[in-house]
Amino acid sequence: MKNMLNAGLGLLAVAILLVLSGTYYTLEEGQQAVILQFGRPVGEPVTEAGLHFKLPFVQEVRRFEKRLLIWDGDPNQIPTKGREFIWVDTTARWRIVDAKKFLESVATEAGAQSRLDDIIDSVVRDQVSASELVELVRSASWEVPPGEILEEVPAEVREELKKRIARGREEITRTILAEARKIIPQYGIELVDVRIKRLNYVESVQEKVYARMSSERKRIAARFRSEGEGRSAEILGTMEKELRQIRSAAYRKVQEIRGKADAEATRVYGIAYGRDPEFYAFSRTLEAYKEGQNKNSVMILTTDSDYYRYLKEAAPRAQPGAPGASPRTPPGAASARPIR
Amino acid sequence: MQQYDPDLVLQELGKRFRGLGGGRMAAAVAGAFLLIWLWSIWFTVQAEETGIIQRFGAVARTVGPGLHFKLPNGIERVRLVPTARVLKGEFGFQTSATGPSQRTQYRDSKAFKDVSLMLTGDLNVIDVQWIVQYRIEDPIRYLFRVRNTPQTIRDIAEAVMRRVVGNRLGSDVLTVGRVAVSTEVKVEMQKILTAYEAGVRLVTVELQDVTPPDPVKPAFNEVNEARQDRERTINQAQERANREIPKARGEATRTITEAEGYALERVNRANGEATRFGTVLEEYQRAPEVTRRRLYLEAINAILPEAKALYIVDSDQKALVPWLPVESGQVPIAGGKQP
Repeated sequence: MKNMLNAGLGLLAVAILLVLSGTYYTLEEGQQAVILQFGRPVGEPVTEAGLHFKLPFVQEVRRFEKRLLIWDGDPNQIPTKGREFIWVDTTARWRIVDAKKFLESVATEAGAQSRLDDIIDSVVRDQVSASELVELVRSASWEVPPGEILEEVPAEVREELKKRIARGREEITRTILAEARKIIPQYGIELVDVRIKRLNYVESVQEKVYARMSSERKRIAARFRSEGEGRSAEILGTMEKELRQIRSAAYRKVQEIRGKADAEATRVYGIAYGRDPEFYAFSRTLEAYKEGQNKNSVMILTTDSDYYRYLKEAAPRAQPGAPGASPRTPPGAASARPIR
Repeated sequence: MQQYDPDLVLQELGKRFRGLGGGRMAAAVAGAFLLIWLWSIWFTVQAEETGIIQRFGAVARTVGPGLHFKLPNGIERVRLVPTARVLKGEFGFQTSATGPSQRTQYRDSKAFKDVSLMLTGDLNVIDVQWIVQYRIEDPIRYLFRVRNTPQTIRDIAEAVMRRVVGNRLGSDVLTVGRVAVSTEVKVEMQKILTAYEAGVRLVTVELQDVTPPDPVKPAFNEVNEARQDRERTINQAQERANREIPKARGEATRTITEAEGYALERVNRANGEATRFGTVLEEYQRAPEVTRRRLYLEAINAILPEAKALYIVDSDQKALVPWLPVESGQVPIAGGKQP
């Protein structure tokens, strides 16, 4: 009997405990909860973290994230307005703002992710296909940096670079966000942000881009080389000009100086020798003979020459014309005039 | 989903054991459980950490480094967040080994290329590797406002870096734009993270290797070489000009000086010779006949000893050439009559 009572008391205690444990629940920071009564949500969602109370058995707690959640889409191959295929990888941030609506429409996070997949993918596709590649890459603040850097850019690309960007990446991202937001509130979700995380050429295009980049670089390299050669030729040309100028100026100066000196000498000689040209000719001739080119030569003198005249004619003779005779060619000097 | 209060559970367990009859044993087990449970009332927070204490899930208080007490598990829980440590995210590469004595090694793979390859404003491709360093400024926000904050930082870093690089020329990012790029990325990332209430403060964003993609590298190097070539060619020409022009100037000065020397010599000689002639002439005019003959004979005297052969021919002899042994190449100082 006592045992029975004990057992009964024990069972009662367990039952009370079970009921008590069903009357409260804790909510983690960063979470929110919806109370379901027989499967139907009752009251406002609970967003405050801490200890809360509920009815045991009839009420059930569904917890949801209150934090910012990640949505990461699969990379998509999308053609741009200019028909280039690119990989676009977008990422988004969202949170559950209306837990009740969320529970009713998508029930779980996985469900929400798949809805977001559908919505964001399609909006991104629309926007990317309606934009030029440059608009996706550049921003509205795009402007060509001045001067020096452009030196390496081929001329025809330069024009393209100077084009103003009508929309730009930020604007496109904003449009994507706005478009997606229009659809999403009905799921109790707030889409906080959508961003294009990665944007790349598809493989085949990438190779072509690499080839283009290489050829551009090679062109620039060739230009640098020929610029170098051009400059070099210019410098050498200037040098040649300067050299010629220097040399010819010097030559001119030399000729002037020499000319003046020669003229002066001529004048001096003229005055001096003009006093007796005949004697000058005579003495100069003798000098010339003495000056040495007669070494080892053979001399032929006639006996009429002044030098040998006395060998032939031992006796002195009157010499009426001797002073007038030219002594320039001694061997023939005598025979030049009628001596006898 | 219900949470049992451990206290109640223990009581219940105790009852069950009593039911089995081992009253003492049950009490011992219950005591052990109680001890283990009470063990959770103290905890230590490391120097670089902050402890966040949640009571029934709600944040109750935060504590700094040291030994702290709290209500036991089930009522209060503690989370430790390294708030003082600078955390790092690597993009496009991964440090695989760091040691005090060895060099830091990096791994490289296809997956990293997906992160690091991006488009520049001139629609070229560039390979950018960078790091982001951050501190958890507000651990409560870090934990409870954003789920998986590190992943969010990664995503934002990639998106922002691509936007910034896409808004510049590739050559700019490769050369002078590096600092500007990292500054811009840092500012923009911080703005977004603040808007997300991520509780994160960026310390620095730094570009590491910024290179052209591997297949294009040789062409880029060629440009650098060509630029060097250009400078070298110009320098060589300049060098030659610098060498030759002063030399030519020197030579010009030399020839001019030589000419001046020549002029001096020429004039001096002329004057000298004129003076000499004038002096001799004066003497000659005093006794022209004698002087003339003397000069002539003196000259012959000087010439004759030098001559190789001497023929003396009678003036009546007309054709003397046939019997003269005239050697070739030798010009006799001969002459018939003076014209």
